[in-house]
Amino acid sequence: MRSTSALSAIATAFVLSAALDGSQKFDQPAQGARSPRNANYEIDVRLEPRDRMLHGRERIRWRNISANPTGELQFHLYWNAWRNAESTWLRERRLGGNTTTPRPDAWASTDIKALRVTLDRSYDLASSVRFIAPDDGNTADRTVAAVSLPQPIAPNGSVEIDIEWSARIPRPFARTGYIDDYYFFGQWFPKIGVLEDAGWNTHQFHSGTEFYSDYGVYDVRMTVPRGYVVGASGRQVSVTDSSNGTVIHHYHGEDIHDFAWTTSPQFVVLTRTFEHPTLPRVQMRLLLRPDHAGQESRHFDAAAATLRYYGEWFGPYPYENITIVDPAFQSGSGGMEYPTLFTAGTRWIAPSPVLTPESVTIHEAGHQWWYGLVGSNEFEHAWMDEGINQFSEARVDETAFGAQNYLARRYFGGFLPWAFRDIPVKRHVDEGLAGYRAQAESDAEATPSFRYWPSTGGNITYFKTALWLHTLEKWLGWPTLQRAMSTYFETWKFRHPGPDDFFHSLSEAAGRDLTPFFDQAYRGSNTFDYGVQLLTSTPAGTGHFRTTVVVRRFGEATFPVDVLTTFSDGSKKTERWDGLERRSIYRYDTTVRARSVQVDPNRLLMLDVNYTNNSRTLQPRAGEASLKWSLKWMAWLQDVLVTYAWLV
Amino acid sequence: MVGSSWRDGLRRIAAAPALTAGVYFITLLAALPLALSLREALQDHLGSSLAAGDTADGVNYDWWQEFSSQASGIGTTFTPTIIGFATTLDSISGLLDRRTLITPIAWTLGIYLAAWMFVTGGILDRYARGRRLGAFAFFAACGTFFFRFIRLGMAAGLTYWFLFTYVHDWLFARWYVNVTRDVPVEPTVFYWRVLMYAIFTALVAAATLAFDYAKVRAVVEDRRSMTGALIAALRFIVRNPSRVIGLYAINAALFLAVVAVWALINQGAGGAGVWMWTGVAVSQGYILARLVVKLQVLASETALFQRSLAHWGYIAAPAAVRPAPPIVETL
Repeated sequence: MRSTSALSAIATAFVLSAALDGSQKFDQPAQGARSPRNANYEIDVRLEPRDRMLHGRERIRWRNISANPTGELQFHLYWNAWRNAESTWLRERRLGGNTTTPRPDAWASTDIKALRVTLDRSYDLASSVRFIAPDDGNTADRTVAAVSLPQPIAPNGSVEIDIEWSARIPRPFARTGYIDDYYFFGQWFPKIGVLEDAGWNTHQFHSGTEFYSDYGVYDVRMTVPRGYVVGASGRQVSVTDSSNGTVIHHYHGEDIHDFAWTTSPQFVVLTRTFEHPTLPRVQMRLLLRPDHAGQESRHFDAAAATLRYYGEWFGPYPYENITIVDPAFQSGSGGMEYPTLFTAGTRWIAPSPVLTPESVTIHEAGHQWWYGLVGSNEFEHAWMDEGINQFSEARVDETAFGAQNYLARRYFGGFLPWAFRDIPVKRHVDEGLAGYRAQAESDAEATPSFRYWPSTGGNITYFKTALWLHTLEKWLGWPTLQRAMSTYFETWKFRHPGPDDFFHSLSEAAGRDLTPFFDQAYRGSNTFDYGVQLLTSTPAGTGHFRTTVVVRRFGEATFPVDVLTTFSDGSKKTERWDGLERRSIYRYDTTVRARSVQVDPNRLLMLDVNYTNNSRTLQPRAGEASLKWSLKWMAWLQDVLVTYAWLV
Repeated sequence: MVGSSWRDGLRRIAAAPALTAGVYFITLLAALPLALSLREALQDHLGSSLAAGDTADGVNYDWWQEFSSQASGIGTTFTPTIIGFATTLDSISGLLDRRTLITPIAWTLGIYLAAWMFVTGGILDRYARGRRLGAFAFFAACGTFFFRFIRLGMAAGLTYWFLFTYVHDWLFARWYVNVTRDVPVEPTVFYWRVLMYAIFTALVAAATLAFDYAKVRAVVEDRRSMTGALIAALRFIVRNPSRVIGLYAINAALFLAVVAVWALINQGAGGAGVWMWTGVAVSQGYILARLVVKLQVLASETALFQRSLAHWGYIAAPAAVRPAPPIVETL
């Protein structure tokens, strides 16, 4: 009784603190809106395919929803990441091992031609634009621009910013750019940073992380050559044919925090409606490449599965449409999410027992929840969108497509796939256990994501998060975790939560303080590794056996685990070990010999980096198994030898 | 002529089963030491774990991934690609895509190719004569031609080095990249890739043809000059292009048929016990069939050459006889 009261008090405290948390004081929905709508854009942009340029003009209506006044404005100019070789993005890419020099036609840039700010009157501030590098002081980096204001903007105060700009389109970097007549535009316009209570949160563009911006209304007119199909965030308002061979596509999106678009004359446009007894109807629009004809159902089915399961588990998708873009081959733009639009990813030869394009589609459609609707800071806490979404995606993969998910490898330059029907892909494989295991100690997850080591950060961001969520699912039960995640979604949609907001939701739903778990799984970089050190079962007098079990904690991180000893008559004994000490010893006097022992037999701890050592049996079959697989390997080697013997 | 030479080649192989068995055992012996080493590594990693049960009965991909994450040396090649038909895709793709082999496998391959170079003289001699000669005569012929084939092998090595270094680079790293890097349609890029494979395979096949017939002429005509044998081989190919290419095409079709059958009957991961040994038998049967194809290339080319320029069974060199050991004199 007493402990229950204490837990209730803790839970209440969590609820209260969660309600008060967040990064901006005045982040409540604007009247008649879903979001604060404090960063609203009207953009006119013209594509010039011949010189690979965008020319744009935009008006930003911005409101200060932080607790403090600001005397300056900050803007992202993301495409300047590919303006020179010393940008932070390219430096980090080299650090991550990619030393490829960009092609001469690959470089990109964004140049502000004019900037006017309207406060009490209009001010021309173009000449006062300066570049800042808040993350690393890199003076060669021009991805963040700042302008000082003639007068501060108070909390809840507003400003109108008019910007005229032009941008050189990259040969794709970071999933934006062109190839041939295919264009995908992400992070393509000067975008205002996020002013938090603690000040501007306007990070430079980093090679390993993504974006962060406020919600608003986007009203965008895109002028493209006649014959080009356009897909964009929001919904289509109109298409106006001009006399000069161009067409203006007008799109409007509300309560979104970014706007991306694509255009190509090659797209085949297909639509299908998602319908569900309890969820809103959604119009799905697929822009399919002709060479992927026949794969439309796979895209639609995967998107529908996402709308259904994410909708049922976390909360409904609130927009009336979603656009699936099938990206061009070699465009480098596949597998990327934007509000109400995402790029999928498939191959010309895509065997049905392999979950491509389904898994990519589910992942990117899933980002509509974890990124689009819950607007976490991807620079600092990339795991809050990628990791939570990786977990969610793997769950949909398993639930909706588990029967057709087999491992595949590609041969002959990556063109020819081969599905291994002996190897169904289980959920924790989708959750990237192998990738996490290899890089488990590379960074503590609590480190700001943009400071992760570039080549290994993804394993922490995506896979460690998915695995600790899977651990929580097994530990607390899916109903509890689902309740936590749906509460978190409901509380933080159209806002900017931080890590503690998520942890609070989890602790609240669990009815207990999960901080010790997050201290290890999130705040530390120690690994979990439990195993069996010893199992003996020897005769001890007439008709009796003395069984000794020693289990051990090999890793530095701790987690309570069960220890299951199975005897030769099938009887079992389960011990609960808090897992804190280095080892624990169990002795049994029984009438039968022990057969095996397992630590964490139900595999709650998905983060255990070595699961083979979690069990030991007195009837080992390693000889048989190793013989079988070494003979298979030998046949492979013989195949290699005989193939090369062609040359003699 | 082509069909009869091809059938003749099969007859010659059938008449010399010991040769087929011999090259099979060479292939087995070449692979066995590394397989035993891998077995030890797998057994050590599995230890007394219950994971071994699933691994023996089917595929335990969890354990596999864990092993791979800790593996070094030949353990790094223990990947799902060793299962079933993927072995063949992997080995052919690896050769055409010029995949780097890890050191222990490269050494094994070197020794294996050297062994082939040694026995090829004896094999061709046996097929050319079309009658049983005995082990002494076989190894004597191997010894006789081994050093000649080493000289020929140097020319072949240079040719293949040129093909796999410069020509491959030019085809795949320059031409293919330049022509496809701005192509947004995968089938188009794929067809370009297929074209590169076709050109490269044709060039390598042409080289193998030249060196094969050089060996055939060296043995059948007892040539000592390998330069002369190579020139003679080229002359033969140039004068009989349809026959040579036709025969090669039939042998290529036989290779594809063997591969297709393997694709259909391979066991995949398989299970334990009898099921495991069935899988071993099928896979070794496939390796044996691949070796038969290799021998058939040599035998049918020998037959074609003999039928084209002389007569069935013509061979200039006397049957090589291994000298008696010195101990004979004391007896």
